[in-house]
Parts: sequence; structure tokens; C-alpha cells
Amino acid sequence: MKRVALAGLALTVAATGCGSSPTASTSAGGASGPTAAEKLYAEIGPLSGQARRDKLVELAEKEGTLDLYTSMTSDVATVVTDAFADTYDVEINLYRAGSETVLQRILQERGAGYQGNDMVETNANELFALNKEGLLGTYAGERRDLVPEAGRFDGWTATRFNLFAPSWNTTLVPAGQQPKTWEELADPKWDGKLSMELADYDWYLTLYTYWQQQGKSAADIDKIFADMANGAKIVKGHTVQGELLSAGQFSVVASNYSYIVQRAKTKGAPVDYLPFVEPIVARPNGFGLMKSARHPAAALLFADWMLQEGQKLLVDEGLTPAIVEGDDPLKQLKIIPIDVKTLVEKGPEWSQRYEKVVAGGEVLSE
Amino acid sequence: MSTASPVVTANRSAPLTPRRRWWPTPKLIIIIAVAGAIGYLALVPLYYLLWGTFFDASGFTLGGFATAYGDSRIGSLIGNSLWFAAGSAVLSLVVGTSLAYLNVRTDVPFKALFFAASIIPLIIPGILYTISWIFLASPDIGLINKALEPVFGPAAVDIFTIWGMIWVEGLHLSPIVFLLMVAAFRSMDPSLEESALMCGASRLQVFRKITVPLTRPAIVAAVLVMAVRSLESFEVPALLGLQNGIYVFTSRIYFVLRSYPPDLAAAGALALGLLVLAVLGVAISNLVGRAGKSFQTVTGKGFRPRPMELGKWRPVMGAAIVCYFLLTVAAPLVVLLYTSLLKFYQAPSMAALRSMSLDNYVELLGLSQAATALRNSLFLGVATATLVMAVMAIAAWITVRSRIPGRQLIDQFAFVPLVIPGLVLGLALSFVYLRSPIPIYGTIFILLIAYVTRYMPYGMRYSVTSMQQIATELEESAQVSGASWWQTFRRVLLPLLAPGLLAGWIYILVVSFRELSSSILLYSPGNEVLSILIFEQYENGQFTVLAALGVVMVLTLVVLVTVAYKLGAKVGLREN
Repeated sequence: MKRVALAGLALTVAATGCGSSPTASTSAGGASGPTAAEKLYAEIGPLSGQARRDKLVELAEKEGTLDLYTSMTSDVATVVTDAFADTYDVEINLYRAGSETVLQRILQERGAGYQGNDMVETNANELFALNKEGLLGTYAGERRDLVPEAGRFDGWTATRFNLFAPSWNTTLVPAGQQPKTWEELADPKWDGKLSMELADYDWYLTLYTYWQQQGKSAADIDKIFADMANGAKIVKGHTVQGELLSAGQFSVVASNYSYIVQRAKTKGAPVDYLPFVEPIVARPNGFGLMKSARHPAAALLFADWMLQEGQKLLVDEGLTPAIVEGDDPLKQLKIIPIDVKTLVEKGPEWSQRYEKVVAGGEVLSE
Repeated sequence: MSTASPVVTANRSAPLTPRRRWWPTPKLIIIIAVAGAIGYLALVPLYYLLWGTFFDASGFTLGGFATAYGDSRIGSLIGNSLWFAAGSAVLSLVVGTSLAYLNVRTDVPFKALFFAASIIPLIIPGILYTISWIFLASPDIGLINKALEPVFGPAAVDIFTIWGMIWVEGLHLSPIVFLLMVAAFRSMDPSLEESALMCGASRLQVFRKITVPLTRPAIVAAVLVMAVRSLESFEVPALLGLQNGIYVFTSRIYFVLRSYPPDLAAAGALALGLLVLAVLGVAISNLVGRAGKSFQTVTGKGFRPRPMELGKWRPVMGAAIVCYFLLTVAAPLVVLLYTSLLKFYQAPSMAALRSMSLDNYVELLGLSQAATALRNSLFLGVATATLVMAVMAIAAWITVRSRIPGRQLIDQFAFVPLVIPGLVLGLALSFVYLRSPIPIYGTIFILLIAYVTRYMPYGMRYSVTSMQQIATELEESAQVSGASWWQTFRRVLLPLLAPGLLAGWIYILVVSFRELSSSILLYSPGNEVLSILIFEQYENGQFTVLAALGVVMVLTLVVLVTVAYKLGAKVGLREN
């Protein structure tokens, strides 16, 4: 039977490319000049207004399909893609998964030269990584120019922001008693009543850097987070956290997404996050156009549409759009965007630091 | 053996004799095909895992081990993990074995409840089962605590402890043991126990000295699977342990795989630690199982399993069963059902009762992919269970019966996927099939391959355990009577293996409905499965819809499993 086993091994080796490491990251991008998709992006880029839309609709409907990978939650994704498909004669093939999985899938497919998607819509970290791998084409246009600077990046453009804010159970925390600053979460009165999420190191990093810029010393900041974590109930997943907050398992959640709390509130659950604790930590989510797209016009059309008609749909779903036209409900509030660059480049380091914080262990200081 | 008598076919093999000596017999072809399939399925992810562990862009490295094991808290992580795994394994073993024994071997009342008690915890997705327990036994909001408060004071039970974790995990795992042990007890000649009783042994003595030793292969297999499973488990530790800072080993795997780029080296280093444990476990299990004829309880002598009379213990046992059922099955299920009728979870009150509606079920009907997902999950569940059990029946024969050198390797390979994290399996498969000339990537068949790989270890344990109980004399007499290998296998062994194979089939069918970690990477539009729907509802924060989906899943699978049992009753050794 050994021989059979060896044959199996040989087969595996053969299948995986004669021993080249299957896990080493493959250099992508391709050195053979711009792809057809990139040419189209460059050609359409300078166009604007109705002429641009008309041209894209014509080309996109000829392509007929859009392969979209996203980490948008399915309720939002369904509303958005249905509305798009109702307007244009373009069928959307939607792959939905967590943002890390979306990234993994694209990298795997790219390594094999498989053209799986035309466009990707996901979180900042993953888009940043994809751009670093040289997989995203350039998107230009008047709609992009309307996106605030915190949402315009090389290779990708924000469509919406996820807002991190403290939220509380209104039965357990009477009106007026709710936290009004981030620092207050360190108060011992929340011991055993505050919940923190296991993996929110992006929030941690942003708040940490913000406080440093405000002149707080590293030791002070470490102490605030340590006091927060001391006696905190650590939960994995914002959704579970939101549900357990409604149920009264804890009184306050440090860093949930405001839209999750808003949805529970809309259903009548005794939870709230308003008035916002400032600064609000905002994490951009957006899209990138693939250089390897097989349906580049459809991708461009969807991009334009997401930044125009799509924005309204996001508002209806309780999300925070990238482009605010008219009255901005967040105008008076201080919002700090997550430092995506640091997040990706020093992610593991911050992730470990945050891990230590929530574990209640000693906190590394710089 | 009365149910399957070997058919005499001496003259049928006669025309085949003039073939040349090197001509491969069907037996050889089947064996090579099975061994090749197992080797291939196990080696693809293993190879990927090993590469990822030991090689990075710059060559050979042991950095993964440093990341994985170099944590200052690694001691307490391993300690917590081992304590949690051992506790859960023991609890599930005790619960599963007792239920199986009472069900198969005694005249205990309420046997119908066993069926539900043994299957339902398996069907409820882990995350829902765990959250139901939070709603039941949290010191802050637990319904059980509210009920006990007048007597025992506030927070009488606390689910957020290592004991709570063991309780939930152990109960969630006990169906695997139950199914395994039911098969073992069914295939056991009760005359041995009866003679012991005749000689004046007490029932406890009989259980300890006769029953347990005779079913040792099954017990060892159960402990092995349980221990590895709970070492890997993350749902329960994540939801129950973290609240009070109880960290386990697998929380490290979670952290290293979610970073970018995913630290496959560290994940691999952790998985290899588990692999070493598992390889030792399989070797021990084979040593125990191989100890001659001592466990071969299905022999040429006919026997009719007759239930043992419990006498004055019957009502006591009956009450215990009802309590167990209420606590482990009914309570979480009722919480689930209750939640599925609400707009958001709240403790029972008049206001909550008034707000109840079927809205969540209506929403479920409105999900466009619900029908597709159900169909795909059914196809994958049935196909995976059937393929795995068919191949593993033969693999078990090779390992237990044949004298082929290297047969132990098959057993070891079949066990490998148990320690490979689902995401790593998904990455390995997409890596291979993205490059394969056969267009499998992007179809439902890549999911089938993933599922067959993931559930191979369970199929193997169920088959090997059953095979070890069947005496060689039955095959020998079939062969003496002139039956070919394939005829013997089909007409003699398969019917005898049927209880074990059916148990394995049911287990795989049920758990494949829940597989998420590799499905999520490998599915493509149109090939959605139920577990992905669950994940989406979970991400949407639609807990109440999720609960409704859980209820629907329980109903679907209970119907399916009932059908399987009814069909199963027509073949093999079922006595009732």
C-alpha cells in the first residue's frame, strides 16, 4: 500500500506544479502591459455626465454579466444588486463571504490565472491588500471626486463607512447615565457590564493613534484600554454582541457598528448609540475594479451607479454612505477614519497588542 | 448468523480460471482504487499544510512554530484546552454510551425520545446551540437561573465557566458517541452478559466487566474522535470562554488565520500538534482493536439481541431519560422556537408573548436562495454520506482484515483530515482544482470533494469499529463455500456492517448540513448551501430569522433521519 501512497503523493506534487510552494504568494499583475479592462477604464475615465452613463450602459448590456465578489451583508447586497439588475440588462453573479475569505479567494484565483470576478466590494484592509498585490485597476470619474478624501485610495473607492461607537441597553442604562466619552468606558462602574469584541484591533489602533495625537502618553493610553478590558466581557462577533446587548447580557458595548445597533433599535429592542460618543471611528468599505475583469464595462457601470443611485439605497438600509448630498446627519460630529495604511502594514503587530489588551494581560508599550 | 447466509457459488467462478496470473482481480482493482482515493484526498491538504508550515518565500523555516507555541500564555492555553477536551470527551462518552446501552439493551421506557435526544443536538448549528444555552444559563439573563432564584439565590448556574463549556460541548458531541455505541451494542451477543448474570454478577459488574471490555474498540474510537474534535472546537470556547477570559489553544488558530496574509505557518504548526496526537490515537486504537478475536462479537453462532429487564430500575431510568431529554433537547429547542417567533430576543413576558408572529418564517420563505440552498445541501449531504460510507467500508476491510503491508497507512491517512482546519482544506482544494484541467472549480463537485475529505475520518471510525466486531469465521466459511471476495463482501460483510454504516451515514448527513469553513471559500453563485445561508443571516444580525432557520433545519433532518432509520430497519441487524 506504500506504493499507492507514494503514487498519490506524486500525483499531488504533479498537480501542484512540480514542487513549487503552493502557499508562497504569487507575484501578480503581469508585466505584459495594460489589460483590455485597464484600457477601457482609461478610456471611460475622462468621460462624464449622461454621455458616460449611456456609453457604459451600451457596453455593459453587451457584456450582459457582472461577476461581483463582496463581503456586504446579504440583506444589503440583495437590495443593491436587485435594484441594479432591474434598471439594466446586466445579470449579477454574486459571491458573498467574510472579507478575509473574499481576499483569499481572489488571491487563489489570481495565482492560477483564473478570472473569477470583475469587481470586488469589501473592507478597507482587504482592498488595500489587493491593491498592494497590483490587482486593481484605476477608477476615475466625477462620482469618485465627490467621495471625501478619507474614502479615496489608490485602486479603490469607498462606498460607505462603518461607524464604531459605544452602544448601550436602555433598560440597564437609564437615560443620561450612558457613556459620553470613550475614556469613560474605563470607569470601574462598568466592570462586569462592558463588552469588548475579540478582534477590533482596527478600532483600537485608530483610537490609540488619535489619543497620541491629542498628546496623551502611551502609558496613559495603555492604562485606559487596560481599565476598559479589566472586567470586560469579551465576545467574538459584532452580531452576537448586538444580540446579547438587546437581551441584557451586558449593559454597554465598546465598539459595535452603529448600523447593527440601529437595526435592533428599529425593531424595538431596548438599545441605543445616540447621542454619538465622539470621535466616531469610521472604517471605509469600498470597491475596486479588477485589472483582469472580463466584463469591465459592467464593473464600471456598477461602480458609477453605486456612487450615485446606490448611495440612497445604502441610506435606506441604515448604512452611512460615502457621498452625502444634501443634509448630512453627521456634519457636526468629529469623525476619524481608520489609518488603513498602518492597519495593513503593521496589522499583525497591532492585532497582537489588542489581543493582549483583551486578554487582560500586560500591555506592550512603545 | 441467521440474517445473512453466504450463497454457495462454487461453480460460478469456474469460467474465470483460465485468466493469466498477472491479470488484476476485481478485488485488487477495488482495493487500489479505494487506497488511492483515500491517499489522494488526505495528501492534497496535508501537502499544502506542510508546505505552508515549513516553507515561506525564502525557503525552509520553523517560524510558524515560534508564532504558534511561542506565546507566553501557551501553558495555560494548552492546559485549558486539554481540560476542556478531556471533560467534553468524558461527558459525551458517559452520556452517549449510557443512552445507547439503555436504548439497545434494556427495556427502558420512552425509547422514542432517544431518537430525538440523540439527533437533535447534532442538527442544531453549534452557534445556535451555544447561544440557546446563554439564554438558559447565563448568570445575568439565564432563564434557568431566574427559575432557580427563589430557591438557590441569584446565578445558581454559570455557563461562562470551564464547566459550562464542557457541558455544552459534551452534550453537543454526545450524538457521535451515541450513534457509534448503538451500532456496537446492536452487534453484541447478549448471551455473554446473560451468563455473567446467571453466575451471580450484579448488573453493574456485568456492565463493567463484560459490556465495556467487549465494546472497547468503539469506546476508543469515540474518545479519539471526541478528544480531537473538542481540541479543535472554537464556537463554544469563543462564546462561553472568552467572557471570563478562558482562552484555549484554537483561539490562536483563529487569530493567525484571520490576519493578512493568513499565517499558514502558525496554523499549520498548531494543526501538526493535533496531527501527532491523532496519529498516536489511531495507532493505539488499532492496537486495542487488533488484540485478536477478543472483540469479535458477531460470530457464526446465531443470536437474538434480547432487551434486558430493568425491573425496579425501569421507572427510575425512565425518569432520568425524560429529565435528560427535557434539559438537553427540549430546553434549547424551545428557546430556539421561542426566539424564532420574536422580533428580537427578550425574556419571556406578556409583552414578548404579544409581539410573537411568524414574520421570521415568512422572511425565510422570501430568501431567494433558500430553495436552491436546501436542494444543494440535500444533494451534498446524501452524496457525501453515501460515498464516504461506501469507500470506508472497503477501507475498513483493508485495515482490519487484509494482510496487505502498509494497511495501517490507510487508517492514518483517513484520519488526517480531522486535524486540518476547514479554511486550510478550502485553500488546498482551490489551489489544486484551479489548476486542474477538469473543470471542477466553480461547480458543486468541489464542495462534494471537500465534504468527502472532511468526513472521511468519521466514516472510517464508524466502519473500522463495526468491522472489528465481526468474526473472521463468517467470511472464511463464505469463501470456503466458494464465494468470491466481492460476493463475500457484499452478501456477508455489508449486511453485518449495516448498523455501523447506517450510523455513520446519518452522522455525516447531519453534520454536512453544517459545514461552513471550507464551503464559504469554495462555493460559487448558484451553488449556495444551507450553512452559507445561516452564516449570512448571522452576519446580518438577524438572530430571530436564524433561529427560524434552525427550527426548519431540525424538522427537515428529523424527517430525513426517520426515513433513513425506517429504511435501515429493513436491512442489517435491526431488531425493532
